[in-house]
Order: sequence, then structure tokens, then C-alpha cells
Amino acid sequence: MKKSILILLAAVALLPFVVRPAIASEVWIFAIFGLGLNLLLGYTGLLSFGQSTFFGSAAYVAGWLMKIHGVNAFLALGIGVGVGAASAAVVGYLCVQRSGLYFIMLTFALNQLFYFTAYQWTSVTGGEDGMPGVPRPALLGIDFNNPLVYYAFVSLLFLISLYLMKKIVESPLGKILQAIRENEVRAEAVGYNVPRFKLLAFVIGGAFSGLAGVLYAMLFGIVPLEAISFVFSGNVVFATLIGGSGSLYGPVIGSFVFIWLSESMSTVWARWPLLLGVAFVLVVLFLRGGIVEAWSRFWSWKSSKQKT
Amino acid sequence: MEILETKNLTKAFGALTAVNAVSLAIEAGSLHSIIGPNGAGKTTLFNLLTGTFQPTSGRIIFDQKEITGTPASRIAHLGLARSYQRTTVFPAFSLFDNVWVAAFATGKSWKGLLYREIDSYSEVAERANLALRDVGLEDKSKQLAREISHGEQRQLELAIALAAAPRVLLLDEPAAGLSPEETRKMVALVRALKGRYTIVLIEHKMDIIMSVSDRISVMHFGSLIAEGTPAEIQKNPEVRRAYLGGVAA
Ligand SMILES: Nc1ncnc2c1ncn2[C@@H]1O[C@H](COP(=O)(O)OP(=O)(O)O)[C@@H](O)[C@H]1O
Ligand SMILES: [Mg+2]
Repeated sequence: MKKSILILLAAVALLPFVVRPAIASEVWIFAIFGLGLNLLLGYTGLLSFGQSTFFGSAAYVAGWLMKIHGVNAFLALGIGVGVGAASAAVVGYLCVQRSGLYFIMLTFALNQLFYFTAYQWTSVTGGEDGMPGVPRPALLGIDFNNPLVYYAFVSLLFLISLYLMKKIVESPLGKILQAIRENEVRAEAVGYNVPRFKLLAFVIGGAFSGLAGVLYAMLFGIVPLEAISFVFSGNVVFATLIGGSGSLYGPVIGSFVFIWLSESMSTVWARWPLLLGVAFVLVVLFLRGGIVEAWSRFWSWKSSKQKT
Repeated sequence: MEILETKNLTKAFGALTAVNAVSLAIEAGSLHSIIGPNGAGKTTLFNLLTGTFQPTSGRIIFDQKEITGTPASRIAHLGLARSYQRTTVFPAFSLFDNVWVAAFATGKSWKGLLYREIDSYSEVAERANLALRDVGLEDKSKQLAREISHGEQRQLELAIALAAAPRVLLLDEPAAGLSPEETRKMVALVRALKGRYTIVLIEHKMDIIMSVSDRISVMHFGSLIAEGTPAEIQKNPEVRRAYLGGVAA
């Protein structure tokens, strides 16, 4: 446990010198997004295919407030978290009574509803062109326009998010959500109102997504229409599964790999998503626990070789 | 005094009346068995008592209070816990976590639900360990539920119900699928629980029922056809015709 934290801190410290600070920031922003999804996917066993609803809504609302009303960064982030949680409460309320494929399709359909709203409402969202001009307002005299300073800010928020998520998954709530994943009928029978707990997971996941959405808008100075589309919803599921949905660190590692791959490969080879597709198939077929599982399997294989 | 009563409880699935005007009274502290051939409606009766299904008509009274229509997740909090005929545990959880989740649900308070560490609820852990000890699984508390034998899973099934510290235990064929040896162990276990809890036991193995029950109710095609002490039931001609016929006589 101590070791993984050291590795993480080292990665946070070194990353902006390995890749451009903007990409480094994107890695941890996406990781926050993944942490939120994984509370649903990995812990509760709910495949939400509409997480960009919360990410995008928060980005638009907070981005608009910063751009038009000069709201400060702190307030904007708080509002983003609130919008993420509130939109997740609405979507969650409509989805938690469904299960299996119906659940997945409903999260997707509601995501499409939000997407088309953003697409049509061009006076605010800019439609297909996105909403440009999102500033990075200074906070307590700190100028976030310096990429490294903004990176440090993002990293700090990421580490706080990770700490909070660790507390949550190790709390009774984390255990109850996993119990729901393992056996919904029994979880209900031993005394948990399952739909209400699923809703709670949605709201918490939505809050994390909202935070990530605002940070994303501030990072690139724009809210692209993609940020509320199924592309982002799919990407975060993808990244989390590749990293490993069975553990806290899975989505972090997945986001690291996903963003790095997409940034480094997209300039070299236009068909790079093919690689992701292959990775995805491998994970689904052979490695349900993603990179995290591959890593632990590798080490147990190595130590068993050393013994003989 | 009755702790659990049903009044004309009925459940219809379309044209099939699985439970038909069942009126039952369970004496506090007793072990009351419900027998009947497969498909008689015994499990459905439990599903009604625990809020899994809502009855088509009739009432359920627990501890002098009407609980008809109470949702399943509230039932455990009232003090009614059940086990399942088909093993229904949390497979990827350790045995301890299986009972911990059940113990926490009915714990004194959920304070710190989102941030307190699991080990900081000492009362819950104590109750969880007690439940494992009651069924003889305390040595395996760290093993995963999916890795233990079928017989042990049946014991765990029971432990999850016990962890809620209920007042009434509803046991649905606890010996289902067990070998004769394992069945003997399970009977001893149920016998040890007798007196500590009010127990409603569904079973279709007659030998088990006769030796442990205070009272027996017999179900047939959804209806109660007889009720009495084990000796009375054994002598009842209607019961012998409907149920014991080929088996015991
Ligand atoms: N959910 C359900 N939907 C439709 N029919 C059901 C359902 N549950 C049970 N039944 C039917 O009700 C009858 C009683 O079943 P059950 O209560 O399981 O009997 P027992 O436990 O006595 O063997 C059976 O005919 C069964 O097929
Ligand atoms: Mg049955």
C-alpha cells in the first residue's frame, strides 16, 4: 500500500516533464472521471454508459459562469461538483430501477438527450463548435495560466479525490455497494434499500465527474461538444476496464495508459484506436481485472519461478 | 403469545394460486415447521412474509403490528430474517464480510456510513463473529464464500440470517442438497438455535421435522390442510393421504 502511494507521487511529480503539461493534466483529470465511474462499474456492478452527461453538464455550467459572470475558480469547481451530482441524481433516479441491458441503454439514451440539448442550444454551448473562451481565473493570487502551476493544481485535486474515493470504498458504503454487486436479492433482504444505495453511488460518481469536467474545460479553455457525448462516456469505460475495474487504482492506471496512448499515437498513426480495440478485446477475453490483474499475476508468476 | 400471524394470506400468479387463504399463528419462542410437497407454496409464503412479493389479499401481523406491504429492505430491521432454499450468499466476499454486511444493516446506527473504517464498528464485528461461531465456521472466516463446500455454504446461508440478530428466523429448507452426514450436522445446528429464536422451518424431509418441531403446519396446493403437534400430524389421515402417503406410510 505504501509502495503504491510512493509510485503514484513519483508519477505525479515526473509526468509533466515526460509529456506536455497539458497532457499530464489531462491524465489526472481523466483519472478523477474514472474514479467516479468505477464506484458504479467496479464496486456496484453497474455499467453506466452515460457518464459524460455529468462531466459535460458541469463543464458547460461552470464554464459559462466563469466566462460570462467571472465566477472564481473555487466557486466554479464547487458548482461543477454540484451540477455533476444533481444531474447524476436525476439520471440515477430514472435508471436504478432497471437492470442489465435496459439499465445500460437507459444511461446511454439519457446521455443522448443531454447531448442533443447541448447540440441544439447553440447560443450557450456553441453547438458543434463547442463553447470557447473558458478562462482559468486566478485563485488566491495564483496564476493558473502557467501550465505547470495548473498542472500542480490538478494533481492536488486528483490526490484529494483519490484519497476521498479510498475512504468511501473502504467505508461501510463501499462494502454495501459491493454486496449489491455480488447479490442484489440478498443485499435487499439483509436490510438495504438497493435502489437508494445505487442512487447514492450515482450521485457520488456524478460529483467526481463534475469536478473532472470543470477541470477539463479550464485546461483547454473550451467545452467541446464531445465532452457530453457518448464518445467520452465510452472512453472512460474503456480506460477503466483496461486499467482494471476491480481495484481503486485501476481507473487511474487506465487513464494514464489511455490518455498517453491516444496523445502519442494519434499523431503517429491515424488508425490508433484500432490498438485500443485490440487491448479491449484482450482485456475482455483474458484479463477481466485489466492491467492491475496482469501486474499482480506477473509478480506471483515471478516469485513462483524464483522459489523453484 | 403469537409473534407472527397471517390472516387469509393469498398470492396468485395469474391463474395459479400459489398461496391460498393461509391463516397461520406462530407462537413466540417455538419452532414451527411447514411441510408440504414440492410446489405446495412454502417458499412463496416466505416471500410474502419477507416482502419479496406483495400478497394478492390477506394480512401479515408481526409483534401485534400489521406489516402487510412493508418493503423487503425494511423487514430485517423489524426483526425478521430468512435463509434461502437456493444458496444466496455474496460469492466474492470472505465469510466474515458475508455476515458483516448483514450485521451492519441492522446495527444500532449507520453513522460514518461514507467515511468510517469497517473495523471501527466493534459491535457489528462482534455480532458477525458470533454468527459464524454459531454455525461452526469461525475458523474459515477469511475464506471466500465461493471457495467453500456446498455444505459449508448452507451453514453460511444460515449465519447471514443469524447476523441480523433477528427475533424470528425463517429457514427455507436449510438441509437442501446436503448429504446424510451434513444433514445430521444441520439438524444439530437448528436444534441448538431452538429456544434462542422463534423459528419457522420449511422442510420436506420428514425425519428432521418430526424430531425438532413444536408444531407443524401442512401445506398442499397452496392451502393449509392440517396443523398440530408432530404426533398429531403423523396420525392425521388427510396428511397421510396428501403428503406422507408414499413416503412414510
Ligand atoms: N415468481 C413466480 N412466478 C410464477 N409462479 C411462481 C413464482 N414463484 C413460485 N411460483 C409457483 O408457485 C407454486 C409454489 O411454488 P413454491 O412456493 O416455490 O413451492 P414450494 O416452496 O412449496 O416447493 C409453484 O407452482 C411455482 O411454480
Ligand atoms: Mg421451496
